[in-house]
Amino acid sequence: MTHDPNAGASKLGRQMDRRQFIKISALAGGGLLVASASDAGAHVAAVDGAAAAGLAPVADFAPNVFVSIAPSGAVTLIAPNSEMGQGIKTSLPMIIAEELDVKWEQVTVVQGDLTPAYGRQFSVGSGSTVANFVAMRHAGAAARAVLVEAAAQEWNVRASECTTFEGVVMHAASNRKATYGALATKAAQLPAPVDVPLKDPSTFKLLGTRIAGVDNRKIVKGAPLFGIDVKLPGMLYATYTKCAVFGGEVVSANLDEVKAKPGVRDAFVLSGIAGLTSGVAVVADSTWNAFSATKALKVQWNEGPQVSQSSVDMAVQALTLAKANGPTSPPSGVRAVEAVYHYPFLAHATLEPQNCTAWFKEGVMEMWTPTQIPSSGQGLVIKGLGLAANNVKVHITRLGGGFGRRGNNEFSLEAAAIAKKLAGTPIKLTWTREQDFAHDNYRSNGWHAFSAGLDGNGKVVALHDAFVKMEGGPGDMTAGGFPFNAIQGSQVRSSKLRGGIPTGFWRAPGDNGNVWATQCFMDELAHAAGKEPLAFTLDMLATVPASPRFDANKLIAVLTLAAEKANWGQKRARGEGQGFAICFANNAYVAIVADVSVSQAGELKIKKLTAAVDAGTIVNLSGAEAQVQGSMLDGISAAWFQKITIERGSAAQTNFNKYPMLRMSQAPPVIDVHFMTSSAPPTGLGEPALPPAAPAVCNAIFAATGKRIRTLPIADDTLRWS
Amino acid sequence: MGKYTLNVNGASRIVEVESDTPLLWVLRDSLELTGTKFGCGINQCGACTVHLNGVATRSCRTPVSTVGSAVVTTIEGIDTPQARALQDAWCELDVPACGYCQGGQILAAAALLKTKPRPTDADIDTAMARNLCRCASYTRIRAGIKRAAELAATSTPAAGKRE
Repeated sequence: MTHDPNAGASKLGRQMDRRQFIKISALAGGGLLVASASDAGAHVAAVDGAAAAGLAPVADFAPNVFVSIAPSGAVTLIAPNSEMGQGIKTSLPMIIAEELDVKWEQVTVVQGDLTPAYGRQFSVGSGSTVANFVAMRHAGAAARAVLVEAAAQEWNVRASECTTFEGVVMHAASNRKATYGALATKAAQLPAPVDVPLKDPSTFKLLGTRIAGVDNRKIVKGAPLFGIDVKLPGMLYATYTKCAVFGGEVVSANLDEVKAKPGVRDAFVLSGIAGLTSGVAVVADSTWNAFSATKALKVQWNEGPQVSQSSVDMAVQALTLAKANGPTSPPSGVRAVEAVYHYPFLAHATLEPQNCTAWFKEGVMEMWTPTQIPSSGQGLVIKGLGLAANNVKVHITRLGGGFGRRGNNEFSLEAAAIAKKLAGTPIKLTWTREQDFAHDNYRSNGWHAFSAGLDGNGKVVALHDAFVKMEGGPGDMTAGGFPFNAIQGSQVRSSKLRGGIPTGFWRAPGDNGNVWATQCFMDELAHAAGKEPLAFTLDMLATVPASPRFDANKLIAVLTLAAEKANWGQKRARGEGQGFAICFANNAYVAIVADVSVSQAGELKIKKLTAAVDAGTIVNLSGAEAQVQGSMLDGISAAWFQKITIERGSAAQTNFNKYPMLRMSQAPPVIDVHFMTSSAPPTGLGEPALPPAAPAVCNAIFAATGKRIRTLPIADDTLRWS
Repeated sequence: MGKYTLNVNGASRIVEVESDTPLLWVLRDSLELTGTKFGCGINQCGACTVHLNGVATRSCRTPVSTVGSAVVTTIEGIDTPQARALQDAWCELDVPACGYCQGGQILAAAALLKTKPRPTDADIDTAMARNLCRCASYTRIRAGIKRAAELAATSTPAAGKRE
């Protein structure tokens, strides 16, 4: 179970090393870098054992960095991007396999390390499939073309007369066939083809089907896959304690006392390292001993200026700022509708706390990191510790959730800084849950002070949004999206609260709060106008001018479908209600209808969610459906229960007992997901179904009870009615 | 520091750790059984679920000194018909998202199926209430439990040990 340090790069990597890789650059455009692939460092041997079993050392066909075919017929595909539950470790190799024309059962997938030849290894912004779709297709198609050429040469026929089927090249006229494995040795000697045509998408066989995650069997057996599971020989266990007040710095600490605690090997202050928040490292012989000793830590902090920050003050300031940014003069002859919506800071709370294992030896920093952007962690270490790029190696482990949190890689720098201090000894840094809540890059809080004008026919003729959020981070609001783009002269005026609370990318950045506010206000406007909400939105969508990026007709289509599938508009008893919301994000179009019930005592039940999604070509139907279901519930979980409150410049919530999360009994028993048939390229899908879920629920609560939720979380309000 | 002899996954294992060390960290750090996950440390998330004498238990708040001769079963070692059916159903229905909580989910569900081979939705709500899934794969977890109940009902008790 322990990582063999001498394995270094994986067996696959070493085998690839032995071969000539002249062809790699021609196909992947990335130079001669060799794939050094591993699953979680601890388990390289097991993972590569499977891959290596099918790989004879000399005769494999490896036409590019993603594909390797052994004479046995075993196909090994590299998954270049980080897997955090979004399914990318399965779906990117599926795209290769589609064009390569092999049976999925023949394929072994190996997680790629951070390697420039793999191209874009960012798993953020729902962009992995979008950015890699064409490259993965080419990787598969080019490999297939060489195998066909190898067969054609063997048989002395034209390549164009040959076809392939599930890992076999065939020449119908002479009734000959050869497996890819049988052709691997020959193919390995052929030059790379140029301009290989791609399949007609209508002939896709694998894409669009349901393929289960490649790691499922390991997951259900508890096999070590995650960053936190990494174990290296002689490894020590570290914690890193920072000031609870954001930006605070260490003055001094009772290091001697801590060093005397059971199992503690070292304790020291780290400061003055570029990009690193100063703190105290505790290194022990087990995670528990490190955690226990950390509890005994007494640090004198210089808390700094953020100590004066509080959520209560921010709310007062935000409303003042919003007022100053209000509409100058409402249009005459119209009825004004005004409302202020507010959403709080949110933590990511990945179930696997932040962690990183680092080993500094002979001038090289090797890291095993659950990260969404491996190059970012590498960059921080290069800069902070003054190492050369080729001396900082990053192995990508599986991530126990991402949600945008692990785009930030400060934990990598913390681990590397500790490892550098303990040169020669590998260390695993594990954050406690409390540290994870205290040092997140939170979803920014936000306020929307809307004011709209309705004419005598109930038509929206003016729309103004005075928007306020914390300075820094994503989440800005523009008047480019719906419904602003449907109303001439509509305006969004933004202002910012003083920064200092770290904010960052939280699944569906910006949209996760802004779509909630605007879609709830749309429902409010429909009721104020005396219109049926669905017809009201469809009518407004029909007036949106066409643009190259956004097709209102697609939003109309998904909303119409979701409404139809959810039996929208049936009369319901008091306490039962339906609501809907729509969203265009990551180039995907999503409509969600929520069915809820609210008891007179105020107990909310989400009975059913119905989603219609246009996400272009669906790569893996199982993964796509799971992403839509999961992101809807993620959005609802946050909106229903969650908030981070800032008190004295630090986060008041420290664990799941103060930051509840949706549980089994609160999840709706039915979640229907409908995908539009499309031959367009795939859009992003890890995020776009999140933003419309919470407003659909809030609008359904209004339909059920007449109560309008304008402040999140929902649980802060009473839903009692009589 | 104390020396403890534990019965883990059918084997006798001797560990020397501080007496307040939670079973979670003994499993993960001392015995290299990392399938049991650290999530919260305060009995809130269920990622650390193991079986103690067949009962689903949070190992993050179970000091090693209290385990005694109890039979400890982790996700790596569980081999009951219910667990095998759950593992198969999880793969068949593609239940895991990130997968971090799923060992704990399966152990909680295995304890449920042992007492209630045909659980109702309410049974599932109750039995699974202490296991968080941050990816919110609850729809598939519920379906997986129901599918496993079917699989377990059709498999014979004499069925051979699977991979």
